[in-house]
Amino acid sequence: MEKVKLPKSVLSLLAERGIQADSIVNACATDMNTNGEYADGYVLLTTNQLILLLAPPDPGRVRLFKGYGTKEESQIDYAPEWAIRTYSFDELERLSIERQVACGILIANDTLRLAAFSNLSMKKMHQLVRAFDHIKNPQPDFMNEEEKEEDEYCPTCGTMYPNRNRKLCPKCMDRSSIFMRVLRYFKPYAGKLCIMLLCFVAISLLNLVWPYLNGTILYDSLLAKDAALLKKLGLPENEYVLALLLIVLTMFAAKLTIRIFTIIQGVFTAQIVTSVVRDMKKDIFNTMGKLSISFFKSRQTGSLMTRVLSDAERVTGFFIDGAPYVLIHSFTIITTLVVMFSIRWQLALIAIILMPISVIIGFKLRPRLWSLFGRRHRAERSVNSQVNDNLTGARVVKAFGQEQREIQRFHTNNERVKTAELSIVRFNNWFSFIYNITQELTNIVVWFIGAWFVLRTEQFELGILITFVGYVGQLSGPMNFLSHIFHWWTDSINSAQRMFEILDSIPEIQESEQPIALPNPRGEIVLDHVTFGYEANKPVLKNINLHIKEGEMLGIVGRSGAGKTTLVNLISRMYDPQEGSITLDGINLKELAFHDLRRNVAMVSQETYIFMGTVEQNIAYANPSATKEEIIRAAVLASAHDFILRMPDGYDTIIGSAGRALSGGERQRISIARAILANPKILILDEATASVDTETEKAIQASINYLVKGRTTISIAHRLSTLRDADRLVVIDNGEITEEGTQAELTALKGTYYKLMELQTKALALKGIE
Amino acid sequence: MPPMGRPPRGPRPDGPEEEFNLEQMEKETEEMLKLRYLTKDNAVFERTEGGFVSVRIGEEFHPRVQVVRMFPFSDPDQYISIRTPDERSKEIGIIENMKQVSKETAEMLREQLALRYFTPIITKIINIKDEYGYAYFDVVTDRGACRFTINMGGHSVVHLSETRILISDIDENRFEIPDVTKLTTKELKKLDLFL
Repeated sequence: MEKVKLPKSVLSLLAERGIQADSIVNACATDMNTNGEYADGYVLLTTNQLILLLAPPDPGRVRLFKGYGTKEESQIDYAPEWAIRTYSFDELERLSIERQVACGILIANDTLRLAAFSNLSMKKMHQLVRAFDHIKNPQPDFMNEEEKEEDEYCPTCGTMYPNRNRKLCPKCMDRSSIFMRVLRYFKPYAGKLCIMLLCFVAISLLNLVWPYLNGTILYDSLLAKDAALLKKLGLPENEYVLALLLIVLTMFAAKLTIRIFTIIQGVFTAQIVTSVVRDMKKDIFNTMGKLSISFFKSRQTGSLMTRVLSDAERVTGFFIDGAPYVLIHSFTIITTLVVMFSIRWQLALIAIILMPISVIIGFKLRPRLWSLFGRRHRAERSVNSQVNDNLTGARVVKAFGQEQREIQRFHTNNERVKTAELSIVRFNNWFSFIYNITQELTNIVVWFIGAWFVLRTEQFELGILITFVGYVGQLSGPMNFLSHIFHWWTDSINSAQRMFEILDSIPEIQESEQPIALPNPRGEIVLDHVTFGYEANKPVLKNINLHIKEGEMLGIVGRSGAGKTTLVNLISRMYDPQEGSITLDGINLKELAFHDLRRNVAMVSQETYIFMGTVEQNIAYANPSATKEEIIRAAVLASAHDFILRMPDGYDTIIGSAGRALSGGERQRISIARAILANPKILILDEATASVDTETEKAIQASINYLVKGRTTISIAHRLSTLRDADRLVVIDNGEITEEGTQAELTALKGTYYKLMELQTKALALKGIE
Repeated sequence: MPPMGRPPRGPRPDGPEEEFNLEQMEKETEEMLKLRYLTKDNAVFERTEGGFVSVRIGEEFHPRVQVVRMFPFSDPDQYISIRTPDERSKEIGIIENMKQVSKETAEMLREQLALRYFTPIITKIINIKDEYGYAYFDVVTDRGACRFTINMGGHSVVHLSETRILISDIDENRFEIPDVTKLTTKELKKLDLFL
């Protein structure tokens, strides 16, 4: 965070009041007043007072939000009529921020509304509140974030980074460097690429010969019975039929060669494209595997799928079907024009005078076509997502008898696809009509003027005219291509940039450079002043101190959303704490080798996941080298053996998304077996028995009792009966540990645990359930 | 007691000091399940010095309340929830319709709502530039000119209806276009990417 730069007018106002600029400990700019209008302001903090500055709303001022504008633009000196108010710290007991739907309010003593601000200042304001808390109640490990200098703006052009974690300025980002990076993927196939390009050149050269053969030579020399032609071909006199045969043969050979080259080029193109796409997908998938869990949480699975599957194809699409053709087509256009001008420059001029018109029409109408394509794409997407929605929710749709309405909904979306498709066809027809008319017009004008030349002047032959018209026709394809290549290029580079966004992502959780190996930990875990939130300013866990002894079974109790799962996520290092540290056997988790950590910490969570594969493969997921006997023993211990054998294919039954459906309890038991086989030193059970019936739970409980022996176990449960065997319990409420002790101690406390306990036993007993 | 852990705390001030009382608890739960409607006859709202609103319902007094819309988009003037301002915000009562409270009350509640649901309305689109994963908006709103950036990947543009659009920038500041059909063709063209 950069220090807020105060305008001169503010500084002089402060000086008038005897407040030195360097006595300001923390400052935050605000951009709203409490009436809900945009207005500039500042909240300043010295060591003994809080100063509020607010300017009247100025409708002429342009508001710049994050990511827009340069540093200079956002820090212009501004001198309105500041209204100033000061509060001494004696008046302020507490500062807090109340998040609104899309802005925030700073509140003093829970009753006084001090300032309002948009989310732009949210982070800074939280820092200010923390700085205030520190002054009021000094804490040794407090770090004034004002001091932390962090670049928010691109050093080259001064644009604000849209994403501070990924310091990449979208304006300065070198587009050609993206291009070059994509080209690097083609490097291994350079040889094939050369052959492909050679084919292209050969094809376009042969195309160039074609009109000359069927125009000038056929008409003007052969049909005009030009003796010079025979001489050139080395044929005896008057053997015109032989000459004709020869020319026809040449023409055939030319066409044949073109076809052969096209085939060769096609084969090589296919080879290169598929290889490059494969390489790109491989890279993306590899990177995705390394990324931290938070990356996946912040993105939709669908959009990630698109990236892996279609972006790579789109990128290469342009590079293979676009880039070479730009060269080829430019080459064709230039050579054709040269040939045309050298034959008859007057006629060439006439031919190209009309040419720009068709290019301009193409260029002008493309955007419209693109937006139509976009509309169709969106319509298709909504149909797709509705089908997806209905397939996954089929049970609910049926249960509530809403089939008819879903059909209606589908019909509406489907209709939209049809409409979009129709409008594209309509537009396309119209577009090609105009385009072709211009083309035809050019042809007719060339014919007309050419014919007029032939009639009027003696130096113009019919063959030349035919050659000419052939060349004009050859120009239209490349011209048309070049008129929309720009859009194509943008699209491809866009895909490339999305792809590189993943490839460049730095996993938030990284293994330390010199990881400490700990193959056989004892299993003592200490959490020291741990604070963590999924978003920077919303702590889910606040200042947690917890010591879990070697071999202990710790139960965690708390209402939903209290932070229990978050706590175990930190212990298995899915995330790193924002403040404080977590150690295993006295070694900070951040220093520990990934391999040792993952091998020694296993989790059975409330979200069980069964991979596509057999029961055996699923149980052996964490330990693929396990013997059959070990697998069976793990299944028996997890009370899974019997139900597995009830399935006809036993341990070879295919389960997972494509296979046999398992019940919630069965999935749970498979994942417990998986954890047993992993044989970790630290076992985390996150509602491991939540979805099984009481009888099965008893069975699983027995296997868990076996499982926890010699391990450190952390067990989260709503059903307190699950935690009967826990050595110690902690109650988490609102991200804090509120109660801690053995069952007897907690019961004696008569706090939350007692309340829950009573509720579960008494309430159930009253109803006669247990 | 473990050496590192903090000593167990006493019962929380709001926790039951006395023996567990199931009946009372069930009563509380039943209370929770009831909807309490507030009208000008049973509730008195007042502005506080600190800029908030307080409410008195018979004996019950809340020095500061939160005013929340249940249907902020589809029905902003009906079903207003009056809640306690703490983290575990509980419902004090519901105003079914703003017409059921006095004009003054409606006005002071609207002031609170205006800040809570602060969303400038886009009246004019000057420019939208889409560049490498982000789109840069240069617009005029009913609260002045704004320039902001949105992330193209996520759910930055939400269609509240066929014609109504809600845009959230990278900090989740909100901007609204209440009716896209009222934009000029030129503006629509710029917005086309998001329609």
